[in-house]
Amino acid sequence: MSDLDHAISLLRSCKPIPEPAVRELCYKARELLIEESNVQLVDAPVTICGDIHGQFHDLMELFRVGGDVPETNYLFMGDFVDRGFYSLESFLLLLSLKVRYPDRITLIRGNHESRQITTVYGFYDECLRKYGSANVWRYCCEVFDYLALGALVVGAGSFVGDESEECEVEVVGAGGDVVTRLKRRDDGAGLMNAVNPPQEGDGGTVGGPPGSGASGSSGGTRGVNNGAVLCVHGGLSPLVDSVDKIRLLDRKQEVPHEGAMCDLLWSDPDEIDGWGLSPRGAGFLFGADIVKHFNHLNNLTLIARAHQLVMEGFKEMFDSSIVTVWSAPNYCYRCGNVAAILELGEERNGSGAGIQWSATTGRGQTFGVVRRGPGRRYRVFEAAPQDSRGMPAKKPVADYFL
Amino acid sequence: MNPVRFPKRDGGSSAEEKDRVVQQTDQDASQSRLSAVDTGYLEDPFARLFVAGEVQRRYPLINRGTYIRTTAIDKLVNHFLVSSPETPKQIISLGAGSDTRFFRIASTNPSVIPNLTYHELDFQAVTSQKIASISTSPALQSLLSSQELSVDQKNGSLTSRHYSIHPLDIRTLRPSAYFSASINTSLPTLFISECCLIYLSPTEADAILKWITTDFTSSVGIILYEPIGGDDAFGRVMIQNLAARGIVLKTLKKYSSLERQVERLRVLGFTDGQLAVSVKEIHDGWVSAREKGRIAGLEMLDEVEEWDMLAAHYCVAWGWRDGDGVFAGWGGVGRGD
Repeated sequence: MSDLDHAISLLRSCKPIPEPAVRELCYKARELLIEESNVQLVDAPVTICGDIHGQFHDLMELFRVGGDVPETNYLFMGDFVDRGFYSLESFLLLLSLKVRYPDRITLIRGNHESRQITTVYGFYDECLRKYGSANVWRYCCEVFDYLALGALVVGAGSFVGDESEECEVEVVGAGGDVVTRLKRRDDGAGLMNAVNPPQEGDGGTVGGPPGSGASGSSGGTRGVNNGAVLCVHGGLSPLVDSVDKIRLLDRKQEVPHEGAMCDLLWSDPDEIDGWGLSPRGAGFLFGADIVKHFNHLNNLTLIARAHQLVMEGFKEMFDSSIVTVWSAPNYCYRCGNVAAILELGEERNGSGAGIQWSATTGRGQTFGVVRRGPGRRYRVFEAAPQDSRGMPAKKPVADYFL
Repeated sequence: MNPVRFPKRDGGSSAEEKDRVVQQTDQDASQSRLSAVDTGYLEDPFARLFVAGEVQRRYPLINRGTYIRTTAIDKLVNHFLVSSPETPKQIISLGAGSDTRFFRIASTNPSVIPNLTYHELDFQAVTSQKIASISTSPALQSLLSSQELSVDQKNGSLTSRHYSIHPLDIRTLRPSAYFSASINTSLPTLFISECCLIYLSPTEADAILKWITTDFTSSVGIILYEPIGGDDAFGRVMIQNLAARGIVLKTLKKYSSLERQVERLRVLGFTDGQLAVSVKEIHDGWVSAREKGRIAGLEMLDEVEEWDMLAAHYCVAWGWRDGDGVFAGWGGVGRGD
């Protein structure tokens, strides 16, 4: 068994690997990541995952639900560390899988993959506690600086499962049963409302107001290849109007407090027009008009992002032009949410059957035509059972006001 | 929704053990307060004096919640202190623990002290510790008038002209309860329960409110700070998580919403006014834009969705029966001030 396979087997059982092994792993990972583009190109099929936050046992649950590496291709959209008790094991496992199967797993950077944030939200303390020095934290932070800022998934099929059924969206519930199947329809907004389970508590505000957005620009180039799916941790930036602009950034640095790189990792979609200030103190809020315009200009069918806790595990917004995927169930052992992963299948008959330009009529949409999203299967899952966690040393104690 | 299962706690089921767990919540609260002070949310030079050991840094959302809780209660208390300044008044803090409020008032607003008597009630195990802290701190002692100061560290009692600590199991308080302490039931009195009544049974908690509104003959008001909303996913996990630590939120089910809190206060005799707002509403509506900017600049808070949920599960409720005008300002607190 190679050193790497040995490390993987240790990490799979949630055991930290020795400091020299971490150094070696991080060195190899950096050599690999330095070759990656800011926006890594990924072929479908791929399973897209959101925040993990050191919830190691729930990451194992994710692999159980979504399939193991290398059988399933994965794309993780950042926030591997902080908050949970096993940031170190979770991140190093993903990183060792990356080094072992570089074409099978893509890791992009989240806003928590940063020196400053990890000193506030737990990863730094965890490294100090487990190794007695900050060396391992330092090695990991050096890797963070080389992580890609986004990924572009190409070749995704238009339908889930059997194409003859023309199913656009399938939701597989926590019990493993298909709970929703939606056929492609002309009314994109109606579809989106149907996809999102009703929100608990608030009245379920999904979908932007019809007719919001910038001035109409009908048309667009018909007949180009099927659109791609942009994956990024947070969202868009007012400084970035094209995917190519992301490619030009110098990413090999600590996440700055402002600017395009910061925005990509910190921003959130919101029910507003245009851009707004973020309550997080970094990045921006952006509305449906921004997303639709960006997708149109960049030939995207969908933006997949993470960053925001959603109680139902995933949430499509803005006529399914953007989706939030959240993969940390019962986040912080406190929030009671379920998690989800998004599976994009591959195009079955490369003849361009997936090109789905169609008019959205009668709703005053921004653009005369919108590109339809790829077939999407959401697998929803719950937190790993408490007794499988094996936490003799430290119970998951969440903070409350007492 | 979530199959979150916790291992059974072994032992610890005796009444004393349960009380001890509740008493320990005070240490948690003091640690949170010190963390909020250390990070710059709150100014409280006395916070450190009641915490043994070093500061345990809390997450930004806990710091923010501690800040909102403290400043909201301060605001209500201050309204009471400054209205009818010549009227002698009393504050009784239920399950006060190592709260620093009296010392903060005495140091920042000394002019109100001559007309104020401040009583703290808590388990003897808690009051003894607090008195030990006071005894070793010149800063705290200098704020107590030396006249009539009497300390019985063994029994956990301290009395002075304006500030007293009484070792008392507040579950003994009910209408016509014999009460030997130097509490004057004819003075206008403000009661404070910061995460205190929530640990009592609904019967015990109701009896205390009835004691207040029947045995106290003058104006009475109460400020409650406690969790609400146990019937959604977040609330269910909160109940489970705290239960795993032996902490049971006993009145949560009965007083689970802002509406129920208001009704509780009305039915139990705070007949002139009852209001309840969530911590989230207080943060969004009471804190000035400038102050919000200041606290937002203290730490990056990347827990926005979590904060919204956590802050929606805590409330401040207040009610009053007012014959002296001492609660005159309470109806409009938070609106434009």
